[in-house]
Amino acid sequence: MKLLARYNRVTLITTIVVMLVTGVIYYFAIHLILINDVDKDLEVEENEIFEYARQNNSLPQVFESNDQQISFFDATPGSVQRHYLDTLYKTEPGSGRRRHHHHEHYESGRGLITYVTAGGKYHGVLIVKSTVETEDLVKIIFIITIAVILLLLLTLFVTNRLLLTRLWQPFHNLLKELRLFNVADTKEIPELDTTIDEFKELNQAVVSMSSRVKSDYKDLKTFTENASHELLTPIAVINSKLDTLLQTDNFSQQQSKLLNDLYTAVSKLTRLNQSLLLLVKIENHLVEGNVTINLRAVIDELIIQFEEIFLDKQLKVSCDLKDKEVTANPYLIDVLLNNLLSNAIRHNNTGGEIKIRLTIEQLSIKNTGENEAIQKDHLFKRFQKSSSSEGSGLGLTISREICENLGFSLVYDFADNYHIFTVKFNS
Amino acid sequence: MKILIIEDERGLRESIEEYFTEAGNVCETASGFAEAISKVNMYRYDCILLDITLPGGTGIDILKNIKENNYPDGVLILSAKNSLDDRLEGLDLGADDYLVKPFHLSELRARVMAIIRRKTFSGNNLLIFNEITIDLLAKSIKINNQLVRLTRKEYALLLYFIANKGKVVSKNAIAEHLWGDGIDMANNFDFIYSHIKNLRKKLMEAGSHDYIQAAYGMGYKFTDQ
Repeated sequence: MKLLARYNRVTLITTIVVMLVTGVIYYFAIHLILINDVDKDLEVEENEIFEYARQNNSLPQVFESNDQQISFFDATPGSVQRHYLDTLYKTEPGSGRRRHHHHEHYESGRGLITYVTAGGKYHGVLIVKSTVETEDLVKIIFIITIAVILLLLLTLFVTNRLLLTRLWQPFHNLLKELRLFNVADTKEIPELDTTIDEFKELNQAVVSMSSRVKSDYKDLKTFTENASHELLTPIAVINSKLDTLLQTDNFSQQQSKLLNDLYTAVSKLTRLNQSLLLLVKIENHLVEGNVTINLRAVIDELIIQFEEIFLDKQLKVSCDLKDKEVTANPYLIDVLLNNLLSNAIRHNNTGGEIKIRLTIEQLSIKNTGENEAIQKDHLFKRFQKSSSSEGSGLGLTISREICENLGFSLVYDFADNYHIFTVKFNS
Repeated sequence: MKILIIEDERGLRESIEEYFTEAGNVCETASGFAEAISKVNMYRYDCILLDITLPGGTGIDILKNIKENNYPDGVLILSAKNSLDDRLEGLDLGADDYLVKPFHLSELRARVMAIIRRKTFSGNNLLIFNEITIDLLAKSIKINNQLVRLTRKEYALLLYFIANKGKVVSKNAIAEHLWGDGIDMANNFDFIYSHIKNLRKKLMEAGSHDYIQAAYGMGYKFTDQ
């Protein structure tokens, strides 16, 4: 749920409840006040009657005034309790302010029953006032209140929307920056242009976190690079000493075997080390020197290069190559194609097949091998290799890094018993 | 030929010196920047093997010094730096070749011989080894004036052997020379064996002596002794 929706929901519900409660209280309060008012009018009228009865010792003449009716009735002394009551007010047809009424009808009214003694006789008095106007007033007030509530809700809704969107703008900006954050990038997260303290704090935390992560990452990179460099010289010494040792006297079969194993191990170590160095380079985007390369020519060249190895493993290689030019560092392209083709050979069966297809959109290299798809999740991770693999375990990681560096994408698929690696040029 | 080895790592320097020292060759060494600069400025060499990272300075400065003074010496850069970094800089500054550590001594030797051949080219593009004559420009081979057809790799292999004549060259070195990094998928080098068998057969059928000897199952030796 979006913050805005949540916030709207809470504020709107609260507003509505509060408004309704106050509306009801308001309604009753006004009603009470107005009824009170009417009651006072009734009392004034009652006093006038008392006054009249006292002075004239007779009942006043009953006449109909606007919205007020007075009637007297005989009653046994002491039987009338003075009290107010809600009653009905009967209008005469064509009388009063509602001249359009052609027959009598009832309106809500407020009455006072009291008693008066005039001329020695005990009389009950009923004074009724119409409360229609009061009711109308209450209604109007109520409608205005509702209208105000609705207007307030609408205003709240709109301002919330505008305000929140604007208020949260720095947050969204920061979020965008975080999404674009790349630990290998040199780009820093910029300072937010905001006056809100919370966002300032968040921004500061993010900026300091990102620079810390970056510097840690850089340290790690530098360490890898330095370690690999430092390893190169001792490996070079071992290699040259082996070459020198080879020039000395005759070797027994056992010694030759040992030497051979040493050679193999050292060349593996060399390749591993160089792969690590290359990986650091690519990840740091330190590889420059782009030129236009026709992939077809490179692949043709590579196939000639690998000819003996294809023969040795009795691999059937078929190519369907179109001209495709890319702008890239030739060394990286070499490494990429070399890695992919090496994999296709290394993980192939003797007598298997390799199909290479190059189009404008993509390059796909299919090969036979284990009749089972490789787990995709770990395929491109470092040092992930099948138990039978003799490679460094960095080949595919490097290939993917190169592809990402060039804006390509590298995907793996398994179909019809072929393992397919596809480089998509427009990823 | 006269070679200067500028390398601070003693083990490597000695190995190279030992590998290059033979009748007719003079090898000198320098282990630091100052020593290297003074030797470079005092004597002329056919080829200088130049390490980039040296105590007291960088090989790049030595290379600049060589080029500023227009010394004709061939320069081969040896570097532990990744090939991508210094290669362009080194070659831009006029180095003849570039070799990344670690390397096989036989590879180094083949590169040095190629530089020296280019330097002392002087209109003569023929490399002659007894009855074998190699035209380096046309990349063609004659034995007793008889043209021998070799594949590209057989030709490269023959040049490699001649550059390392009298030395045992390991199968690893051969494989890396001919197939580059792509070789790491093949742990048995049977296809090298068939390659060498073919080359040997072609040379001998054209009337050459049998110069290629297998060495203890580890490599091969090209020798006329």
